[in-house]
Amino acid sequence: MDKETPAEKSLNLIRGRLCAPSFVFRPLCASSDSNYSKLKFIVSTSITEGCNNSILLLGPRGSGKAAVLDLVVGDLLQEFPDSVSVIRLNGLLHSDDNCAFKEIARQLCMEHHLLFSKMASLDENSQFIVAMLRECGLAHKTIIFVLDEFDMFAQGKQRLLYSLLDAMQSVTSQAVVIGISSRLDADQLLEKRVRSRFSHRKILFLPPSREEFDGLLEHLLSLPADSSFPSGYVSRFNEKIKNIKSDTRFKDILRTLFNANSTMNSLLKFIFRAVSLMNLESGLLSLENFKAALSSMQRQPKLEAVRDCSILELYLLVCMRRLEVKEQRSYNFISVMKEYKTIHDSFQTSDYYAQNVCLRAFEHLRERQVTCYAENRGQTQTGEYRPMKLLISASELHQGMRSHACCPAILLKLLDH
Amino acid sequence: MLREESPKVTRRSTRSSSSVTVEKPEPNETHLPTVDDLTFGEESISLDAVLSNFPGRRSQIFDLIRLMGPLDCPALPVMIYGGASTGKTSVVLHVLRHLNRPFVYSSCRTCYNPRILFESILNQLLLHRKCSLNGYSSAKRCDKPSDFVNLLRDALSNMVYLILDNVDLIRDWDKGSMILQFLFSLYTVLKMPQLSIILISGLPPDVYYSNMGYTDPLSLYFPEYSEEDLRQIFLRNQANRRLYSAFLDVVLKPFCRVTRSVEELCTTFASLFRKYCEPLDDLGISPNEDMKRRLYSNLKPLIAPCLNEIFRVSSHPRDGDTRGERRQKASCSSENREELEILDFHMSTSAKYLLIAAFLASRNPATLDASMFDSTGGMDNRKRKRKASEKSMEKKEIAEQEAVMKGPGSFPLERLLAIFQCIASVGNSSFGEEEEEEDEDPTGYDKENNNLMSDILLQVSSLCDANFLIKSGSCPLEGSVRYRSMVSEDLALKAARSLNFPLSKYLYRR
Repeated sequence: MDKETPAEKSLNLIRGRLCAPSFVFRPLCASSDSNYSKLKFIVSTSITEGCNNSILLLGPRGSGKAAVLDLVVGDLLQEFPDSVSVIRLNGLLHSDDNCAFKEIARQLCMEHHLLFSKMASLDENSQFIVAMLRECGLAHKTIIFVLDEFDMFAQGKQRLLYSLLDAMQSVTSQAVVIGISSRLDADQLLEKRVRSRFSHRKILFLPPSREEFDGLLEHLLSLPADSSFPSGYVSRFNEKIKNIKSDTRFKDILRTLFNANSTMNSLLKFIFRAVSLMNLESGLLSLENFKAALSSMQRQPKLEAVRDCSILELYLLVCMRRLEVKEQRSYNFISVMKEYKTIHDSFQTSDYYAQNVCLRAFEHLRERQVTCYAENRGQTQTGEYRPMKLLISASELHQGMRSHACCPAILLKLLDH
Repeated sequence: MLREESPKVTRRSTRSSSSVTVEKPEPNETHLPTVDDLTFGEESISLDAVLSNFPGRRSQIFDLIRLMGPLDCPALPVMIYGGASTGKTSVVLHVLRHLNRPFVYSSCRTCYNPRILFESILNQLLLHRKCSLNGYSSAKRCDKPSDFVNLLRDALSNMVYLILDNVDLIRDWDKGSMILQFLFSLYTVLKMPQLSIILISGLPPDVYYSNMGYTDPLSLYFPEYSEEDLRQIFLRNQANRRLYSAFLDVVLKPFCRVTRSVEELCTTFASLFRKYCEPLDDLGISPNEDMKRRLYSNLKPLIAPCLNEIFRVSSHPRDGDTRGERRQKASCSSENREELEILDFHMSTSAKYLLIAAFLASRNPATLDASMFDSTGGMDNRKRKRKASEKSMEKKEIAEQEAVMKGPGSFPLERLLAIFQCIASVGNSSFGEEEEEEDEDPTGYDKENNNLMSDILLQVSSLCDANFLIKSGSCPLEGSVRYRSMVSEDLALKAARSLNFPLSKYLYRR
């Protein structure tokens, strides 16, 4: 294995940072009114006072709910190494009650070095969990239940939520339930019997402000001075970042990005793309990297789909669009073919192909999800007769055809009237 | 007549086909398989080779390599999307071979449910091979995402790329949206930088948006090939590039207007090029302008018919050739689509009549049968030539639209047979003779209709098998099976013409 260059090393370092949420969210936790401090206060008081608690962390996807919680839990595990144990569930994986109880039992067994039985039934597992809660309560040990994708647990009978929260009603138990959800109305989904047992603490996560993000850029991109990099390289790298950041064009890029989507996730993706475009020879980032990253973030799949179409497929799309303009409520391949023929008859276009070729093109459009069947009923009919609909708007079609490499002028005219 | 999924998967050099040599079960237990065995195993190919293998994919290859980053570098999940046959899978696999990194490849087409998908991934990660010793069982039994995550955590040690192909197929799975959601957030659920995920999808990322909110991976778009790219692709591996280039000059432009899919063009071009070269004795020559012109004029009449067909099925290659020649002659004699008028498959006379009868039964309303097939034969059109008011015109148009939307109607077997007998008796007398010939059956079993009926019923079932007729659900009132004709008007007219049967006279037009 040959020695990696400083450029590769810095790339590795920065990409590693971007992929580690705990590193990204660390600086946002410093202030006293941050979500981190709030959450830590609530959980640590429940640990020290030995009481039960339940909290919901709400916010859009990718706003760092789980990352902040991980930081808090990590710190608490260091602070109270003997009196905290963490059980993690994810709604995507464990929304099924049976599966969820089994997973809790499994993690409890792992934690306390007990033998886990795969064959245990739902009842046995739930009894085991209640017993464990009591035991832990007696030993003054707090169990933190982290329920990611909380809203998924609220589907169905909510048996897991009920039994957890009900077990917490007893004096002996000592547990904290922390739900994470991107649905702001997650607590409204709960049944009455569950809701009454839930203490309605909610912490809202918001996207970072521009100032916070500026600080974050510094934190993510600057190289540490005391590392094994050549000293000149570090200062050059950091200088370059500073230059880019003060550039007005860079500020414009950031503004467009913020206007589109200002969650942490999309910002991180943007930086990741820019960093991966870094020139490995010079080992420095440039403004062009960020520009290219922005343009690759601003994809318009529907326009791309139209641009991918062949001329014949464009003809079919235009025919469908014309039928829609004529206020024909529904249409199928046969009626599209009729329209195609009228166009051919009145304009004598050179692109008039047999029906089976058109049907193939039609199927291509459906495969690419530019069109789809209007309804799922009527599968007794063959594809030609099933009603269809366009999945792109008129303006998208128009724009896509304008930017198409070789769209005939007559098609654009036909689209307009 | 829907086009089936193109059988491209089999032709791709996926790992399962190319790594057979790598993962051969070692009889001696001294060799313990390691993660390094998940690479291609052969010597890695250079970047230039990858680039030259994929003309027109230069920027995508560079983007992919950059997103994957240097060795052992953590990466966010990537989703590669683009239409069929744009080189998504092969580019990924070639890039991995170039970088010589370990990877796991599973296609959601072959792994058609979650359990098979999960087990296939785990088998590859755990270097487990199904063989007779273990009863062809998987390394771990796993059908739930939760188990999969636990097992995956245990199985991962070094950096591995997980490639999931044809992700769009998951949408049709049972509970597919959950599985998709799970795969998209697998990276955040696992929280392990050792696994870097590459999803390959035929559909753009926006079709995966759901109401659950969606953490979209970094996307990388593979656009359809441009005409110039296609030229480069078809020129690769050609023995005589000059000649082929001259051929492409002629055919590429018209065919690109119909489709730009490499797979579809490939089959057409192969047969056309054979035709193109026919006048040449020596395939190694480089053609001059004059020769090019001559070859072009030779090929020109073949292009238009080829543009209008999607595939040609011929049991013998020679058969296809003679047909091509015949077609050529036909198109020489009359410029237009005359050759399409010929019914190009064999069918018995009675089957043709049945076909027409079924077509009529599907298109005409049942109430008009009596007037259509009375002794005068055919409908008197004059009666309907009333001056139509605006309103009735409008109504007519709406009715017509509705008819188009409803498609061919269904009919019971009795009606089909009744119409068949009517039109067969009206039709030319030659059929009657044929019938009499049949009646001279040595068994002398039955001289009358019964014999005919059993033959006809057999024909009906074979028409059903050939998909000219389809059985649709039984009628709730009568309880008998109903049929539906799937024949297009063109084909019905062709069949009628071959029998000299006046079909349009019997067809009810609104």
